[in-house]
Amino acid sequence: MKSGPLEPGGPSRVPPRIHKGNKGVSIMDLVLRAVAIVATLASAVAMGTTNETLPFFNQFIQFRARYNDLPTFTFFVIVNSIVCFYLVLSLPMSIFHIVRSRATFTRVILIFLDSVMLALLTLGASAAAAIVYLAHKGNASANWLAICQQFNNFCQRISGSLIGSFGGILVFIVLILLSAIALCRRP
Amino acid sequence: MDQPRSSDEATVEIPESKSGRSKAATIAATTKAARYASGGGGWKRGVGIFDFILRLCAIVAALAATTTMGTTNQTLPFFTQFFQFQANYDDLPAFTFFVIANAIASGYLVLSLPFSIVGIVRPHAVGIRLLLLILDTVMVAVTTAAASAAAAIVYLAHNGNSNTNWLAICQQFNDFCQRVSGAVVASFIAALIFMFLVVLSAVALRR
Repeated sequence: MKSGPLEPGGPSRVPPRIHKGNKGVSIMDLVLRAVAIVATLASAVAMGTTNETLPFFNQFIQFRARYNDLPTFTFFVIVNSIVCFYLVLSLPMSIFHIVRSRATFTRVILIFLDSVMLALLTLGASAAAAIVYLAHKGNASANWLAICQQFNNFCQRISGSLIGSFGGILVFIVLILLSAIALCRRP
Repeated sequence: MDQPRSSDEATVEIPESKSGRSKAATIAATTKAARYASGGGGWKRGVGIFDFILRLCAIVAALAATTTMGTTNQTLPFFTQFFQFQANYDDLPAFTFFVIANAIASGYLVLSLPFSIVGIVRPHAVGIRLLLLILDTVMVAVTTAAASAAAAIVYLAHNGNSNTNWLAICQQFNDFCQRVSGAVVASFIAALIFMFLVVLSAVALRR
C-alpha cells in the first residue's frame, strides 16, 4: 500500500549491436573499395605500358607487340580505367554510408551500380583472358600461332595484369554482398 | 478525505492502469505490426512474382545459348593436308568453357525456382532473398565471363588480326560463325537478366 514515488522511467534502450554491425560493414566496404581501386589501376597501367620489340624483322610478321595491336586489350584497358574511375567516385557515397547507417535507398543504388560495374569488369577481364590463353597456346584447328614463344616479356606483362582485374571482380562480389547484408540489417 | 481516497484509488488504479496500459500498448503494437506487415507484403509479393518470371526467361536464354553452342558442327566439303576443315565447339577451349558455364547457369536457375516461389509465398523471408542475391551475383560474373570470352574469340574469328598473323576463319566457316554469334548474344541476355534479378532482390530486401 505504499504509494511511493514512481521510479522515473528512462528511455527504452534499443540494443546498440545492430548500429555497430552496420558501421563495421560500411567500414569494410570502404576498405575493399580502396583495394579494388589499387587493383584495377595496376591492371590498366600494366597492360597499357606494354611495348616489346624483337631485335630482328621480317617482311611478313610485325615484330613489335603493344596492347594496341589487339582490340580486346584496348577494350581491357578502357574498362579497367572506367571501373577505377567509378570506384573513386563511389568513395564519398561509401563514407556517407558509414556516417548514416540507416540509408537504404542509396544502398540499393550502390548495389545496382556495383553490379553493372561487376559485369563490365568481368567482360573486359575474361575477354582478355581468352586472348591471353590463345597467345600462350595457339590453336591448331584455326591455324593461329602462339605468339608468346617469341614475345616473352609481353606475354608475362599481359598475364600479370589479368590478376589485378580478377581480384577486382572478387572484391566487387564481396562489396555487393556487404551492401545486401547492411540492407537487411536495418537498425 | 481526499488523500486516503486518492491513495486508495492510486494503489488500486496503478496495477490496473499498468496492465491496461501494457495491454493497450501490446494491442497498439500488434495492430501497427499487422498493418505494417500486410502493407509491406503487397508490393514484395509483386516483386517476387516478377523475379520468378525473370528466372523463367533466363532459363530459356541460358539453355538456348548452351544448346546452340553445343550442337555446332560444320564440315567443309574439301580438305588439304595442312588445314582441318571441321569446326566444332571442342576446337576452341573458350567455347568449351562457354558451354560448361551456361550449363551451370541453367542448372542453378532451375534449382533456384523453388526458392523464388518461397519468396513469393512468404514476402518477408529475408534469408532466402539474401541467399538468392549472393548466388545471382556470382552467376552474373560467371555468365558474363563465359559470354565475353566467347565474344572475344568470335570477334577474332570474324576479323582476324594482322599483327599476330591470325586469319579470320569465319570467311570459310559461315554457318559455324553465325551459330556461335547467336549463342553469345543469348548468353549476354541471360547475364543481363541476372543483373535485373540482383537489383530486384536488393529492392525487396529493404524494409
